[in-house]
Amino acid sequence: MMGVLVSVAVFCIGVYGVLTRRDIVGVLASVEVMLAGAMLALVAIASSADSATGVRPLAESIEAVGLLLLVIAASEAAVGLALLVSVARRRGVTRIDELQEVKG
Amino acid sequence: MSFDGPFMIQLALGVVALLTALAVVAVREITRMAVALGVFLLSVAGLFLFYGASFLAAAEVFVYVGGVLVLMLFAIMLVQRTDAGRAALESRHDIGSASVAIGLFVMLTVALRGVSNRFQGSPAGSSVPELADVLMGSRLVQYEMAGLLLLVALVAVIVIAGGDEQ
Repeated sequence: MMGVLVSVAVFCIGVYGVLTRRDIVGVLASVEVMLAGAMLALVAIASSADSATGVRPLAESIEAVGLLLLVIAASEAAVGLALLVSVARRRGVTRIDELQEVKG
Repeated sequence: MSFDGPFMIQLALGVVALLTALAVVAVREITRMAVALGVFLLSVAGLFLFYGASFLAAAEVFVYVGGVLVLMLFAIMLVQRTDAGRAALESRHDIGSASVAIGLFVMLTVALRGVSNRFQGSPAGSSVPELADVLMGSRLVQYEMAGLLLLVALVAVIVIAGGDEQ
């Protein structure tokens, strides 16, 4: 129970950071916090056994799924930071509220 | 609930993870945020180790603390302007964002309570040969797709960040 609580709390802290941060680096770091919270929930639930049947769900492949999530998170961070560098070079802007051109 | 050794380890790692996650969200200085993110990722890796996912913990340290965090520091160095040092990080703390986060926390806790009450055994470790069997067996397609995703991400990063040199 505690692992799930910690992961949910970490995820919600990340959501708060995405909503309140104005700089792109801070938003990216908050997204990383959210992804870590989701992975933590996955590992915390799947590593324990079912108290009724004694079966561990996904026990043999939970690390494989976690590794794939890690790859997705790393790709997201790399592309996000590349976008940050590109936007900062072309427009001299590192804050998300100054990027008005893509506003719908 | 017994306050034995494993529980205290889990509690300590969870508290460190929560405090450093809060620091990542709230700290205004950019290098302190990076340090907090590093400690947060290390504590998450410690929790992975506690739950028996030892290979995932090692991968988390190598990929995140050794890769993504260094990449983030390089990006910070590249984009920092001369006057950006002191006011680089700004937050707009308001009641709406806080209520969204707290509401989501309550909703997820209620939704996951049944699941976490059901699965309560002690965590059991897995071995690297088992992981290799899974990755090269039942999860082979996902493994290859992950490799393809990394390749596409690599090409995209080169095109986005290095395309305007001339």
